[in-house]
Amino acid sequence: MDDTTAKIKQFIVDEFMPDVSVDELDSDFDLLTGGVVDSLGLLQVVAWLETEFDVGVDDSQLGPESFRTVDAIKTFVDEARGTANAG
Amino acid sequence: MSQSFFDHFAAQASSQPSAPALIWDGETIAYGELAAMAASASADHGVSELPADRPVGIRARKSPEAIALILACLQTQRPFLLPSVELAPETLGKLFAQAGVSRVLEPQGRRSESASLRAIEETPAEEAEPSQWPPAGGGDDISFMLTTSGSTGLPKVVPLPEGAVDRFTDWAALQFDIGPGTVVANYAPLNFDLCLLDIWTTLKHGGCVALVDQDRATNGGYLADLITANEVNVLQAVPMLYRLLIDVTREDGRSFPSVKHAITTGDKIPATSLEALPGLFPNGRFFNIYGCTETNDSLIHEFRGLADGVVPTNVPVGQPLPGVRTLIRSDDGAFLDGTGTGELLVWTPFQTRGYLNAELNADRFAPHPEAGNGETTYYHSGDVVRRHEDGSLTLEGRADFYVKVRGVRVSTQVVEQAIQEHPDVIEVAVVAVPDDLAGKRLHAVLRREPDSKLNSLTLRKHCAERLARTEMPSTIEIVTESLPKTSTGKIDRKRVLARLEEMTHANG
Repeated sequence: MDDTTAKIKQFIVDEFMPDVSVDELDSDFDLLTGGVVDSLGLLQVVAWLETEFDVGVDDSQLGPESFRTVDAIKTFVDEARGTANAG
Repeated sequence: MSQSFFDHFAAQASSQPSAPALIWDGETIAYGELAAMAASASADHGVSELPADRPVGIRARKSPEAIALILACLQTQRPFLLPSVELAPETLGKLFAQAGVSRVLEPQGRRSESASLRAIEETPAEEAEPSQWPPAGGGDDISFMLTTSGSTGLPKVVPLPEGAVDRFTDWAALQFDIGPGTVVANYAPLNFDLCLLDIWTTLKHGGCVALVDQDRATNGGYLADLITANEVNVLQAVPMLYRLLIDVTREDGRSFPSVKHAITTGDKIPATSLEALPGLFPNGRFFNIYGCTETNDSLIHEFRGLADGVVPTNVPVGQPLPGVRTLIRSDDGAFLDGTGTGELLVWTPFQTRGYLNAELNADRFAPHPEAGNGETTYYHSGDVVRRHEDGSLTLEGRADFYVKVRGVRVSTQVVEQAIQEHPDVIEVAVVAVPDDLAGKRLHAVLRREPDSKLNSLTLRKHCAERLARTEMPSTIEIVTESLPKTSTGKIDRKRVLARLEEMTHANG
């Protein structure tokens, strides 16, 4: 597991399901359908991403699809960083 | 004036004195004998000397003596309150005081030792429950007074006018073909409204009641033997009885050809039980009845085609009984003409005029607002039903359990049922917690099996297959100790919520 994925998993578990261990959370688990992250939780995730990875999240990118799974969040972070580096 | 209930019974006793009236513990009691028992109960208790304008209390477990005592009250036209004997003496005392009873009677002349009577006598005057007798609309024509469990505090007293009992017992006899020669099993405890069908319809119309002993009501072998030995024709019970019979006959392959009418009521019968009914009762017709103590039976559904494998997964509550009127009121207060969901409002020819404690009526009884003169009082059932395209109704849940989460109507009961389906869940409560942003959010507390590894993630995976997004709890708390319970053993959601709010305040 790469560093970004591990950090995201740790955050999700700490914030939303403290009774679960990190290894149990599959990176393709649907966080939205599973009710782990709701629309309010999404804001928490975004705020954390902004500080933790120093990425800017503008409102137009704030679709729930980008945050549906740990994998999706990692892709979002990678892309946001890639854009930031290129600019 | 029309004949009273007792006149009908007395007519049976004089025209067919040796016909069986009751079967109890293998013994048969004939109509003549039962009439004589009623006469001596009346004499022993001096019922006719008690004030005619006040009710009596009856504290009795099911027995022929208890039935004779009730007949004595019916004969002398004394209204009587018949609460559950399982209630705490203090609660019984309060109920009897609220009904303003002149005396508490127990079968076999043990009235002086009655714990409940002592509880009334020993209650200091300032703490005594004030008498609410007579009920609104008068007490002259009241016969049975039954109780129904309140969600808080005292059970609610439901006074039934003689006319209501009369009309109900005539409907039931006609519907289920109850008359001389018919054997009807009585499964429910004596204080249940179900007895108006099993016991009182049968005794009015000359049939025979096979009484199930309360202490053996969960013994499938005993129940199967009782039905076989007495050639029971009519069976009315909660789904549990059918489950017990299915389990016990699976081993010996027995069936019950004498049963012509098998009625399930009080709870949803599972499809797995329905499937087994035709095998169990090869000559049976199968019914689901919907009703409550306040209105008595209101809707009936006959299962047709069970033997051919036509098994509904969602049991229809059925069609209105003759003379019964129903309304469905949607969330916005409008009455539904077509399909949709809403609270079921019912008026029946068998209903009470209201609770003895009239303060309780406001929430539950109201005239049809479009009726103009307000003559007809509808009972607000608290049950949410769905009307389908074919006009049939199915039960969606209790109105009390509906909450709005982010503007969407969600039943916490549906969420609880989904969580309960997980094999590691012993019990669960889902409560709606006020939330500044969402309005309400759902919190689930569940107790898991001691050796279970169940956590919120595995439970969410389980729920995701069963629930809509809006139905998914925001927070899930897994505990190993019992959830708080009410005095009747149900999960006390109010205490679950109160404890949660305390914790939130402590943390915030």
